[in-house]
Amino acid sequence: MIDIAGILIDNILFVALITLGGVLISWSVHFVPVGGAPAAMAQATGIGTGTVQLAAGAGLTGLVTAGAMINVTDSLPLILASGAVGAMIMISVTMIVGTWVYTYGVGVPPASAKVDYDPITKDRQDIYVSQGTEGHGLPTVSFVSGVIGGGLGGIGGAMVYYSLVNITTGLSATNLMGLASIFAVGIFFVNAVIPSYNIGGTIEGFHDPKFKRWPKAVITSFIVTFMCSIVGVIAIGGL
Amino acid sequence: MSAGGSGGGAPEAIPQNKLIAFGVIAGLVGVYLSHYLVAYVSTAFSFIGGLAAICAIVWGAAAVRRVASYGLGTGVPSIGMLALGMGVVASMFGLAVGGIAGPIIALLSAAIIGLVIGVLANRVIGMGLPIMEQSMTEIASAGCLTILGLSASMTGTFLFDAVLNNVVATGYIAVIFIAGGLAILHPFNANLGPDEKQDRTLMTAVEKGAIAMIIAGIVSITTDGAASAPTILIGLFIWYMAFEQYRKYVDRDAYDVVGVGLLPTEEEGSE
Repeated sequence: MIDIAGILIDNILFVALITLGGVLISWSVHFVPVGGAPAAMAQATGIGTGTVQLAAGAGLTGLVTAGAMINVTDSLPLILASGAVGAMIMISVTMIVGTWVYTYGVGVPPASAKVDYDPITKDRQDIYVSQGTEGHGLPTVSFVSGVIGGGLGGIGGAMVYYSLVNITTGLSATNLMGLASIFAVGIFFVNAVIPSYNIGGTIEGFHDPKFKRWPKAVITSFIVTFMCSIVGVIAIGGL
Repeated sequence: MSAGGSGGGAPEAIPQNKLIAFGVIAGLVGVYLSHYLVAYVSTAFSFIGGLAAICAIVWGAAAVRRVASYGLGTGVPSIGMLALGMGVVASMFGLAVGGIAGPIIALLSAAIIGLVIGVLANRVIGMGLPIMEQSMTEIASAGCLTILGLSASMTGTFLFDAVLNNVVATGYIAVIFIAGGLAILHPFNANLGPDEKQDRTLMTAVEKGAIAMIIAGIVSITTDGAASAPTILIGLFIWYMAFEQYRKYVDRDAYDVVGVGLLPTEEEGSE
């Protein structure tokens, strides 16, 4: 029989770090300008796909870059920075290419329908919003918000993966990495979907009124990730 | 965006409780049967794991259909990824600690994680869907059984060492994650709308499950414990039958089906 209490006490730091990482992922999704299907038709501000796809794209890139860094160093700050930069690059590329498509392809100016003036550039927004739409494209504030979201998500994902890989275990390195990465992916997806229900599928960024709902998603993610982290630590630590 | 949201329950020809029983029993029995038949009779029986996965996928797709027809406020795909996210955590935990009881422990832990997410979604996030708790439990369990079934058909067993070496460390778990997740989320996503019918959606689930089974069969070429040819051939057969049946349902539900011929060539089009 596995000594469950002993494993948990030995790895209590990692349980805490995994939970913190999950909470960061959940919070980060609120920053990402998710437009969903309306944005795909340039009828809402944001990137034209769902939360999960965006979070997965950016977050998994973060996991990959963090994993590459784990191979060369044990320093947690470097690994977290690597994860954050990977995810930020991925989300920035997605947003800049999306902006090109909206501007030169669809032919709409980036405009937010939630605020009259862009909080960062102070540019007027409301007169550029086409009638019958809820904004379109990615105004500066949404872009900056998305980069922040990518960074937080990358840090969260890297933290989860780092903790899982460092659990004391009898597994070989290859098996441990495989198991830790699929656990990290599972935890990542769960924490990407929870906030997407919280924001109702679309959000423009930190200036959107829906952003204020984040504590609800963070509490939910905290409880769920805590459960997942215990399950993950017992599974990996018990082998 | 409210995908498929009409704000009410979906009409069901097959009651959900029967589908739950079908998914749990056929899924678990299939996983165990494939393990024991492979161990004591022949590796050819690894295909039963794929059949178990199809049963679990049909159950999962039915649960997604039920909860998503209330309108989740976000796209249907999110719930499929959530199912496999919860499922992969629970199934790896169950197999790692459970030994021969692994699938049962995995199923129970998936149900608990799903129930907690369902309760929190209603109480904390305030989604207010009356069937959220039950559906999340079902979806997590179905996702877990899908992973177990596909793993069993890839390796011929659900014992953790074999699954770890042949499925997780090699990265095929990612294939299971996406193929299984798509099979659970896609049926309702593809069929949703006012004319959505349960039998058509579930037939899509069978067809998508068969594709996942074929892929599992291709993967099992690389493993020792499982035979690939039966899994691929039976998967292809099920896929063909399910696709034909699905096409019949589409013909039945469509107002009219007409052939429009090929696209006109450039000269014809300009005339």
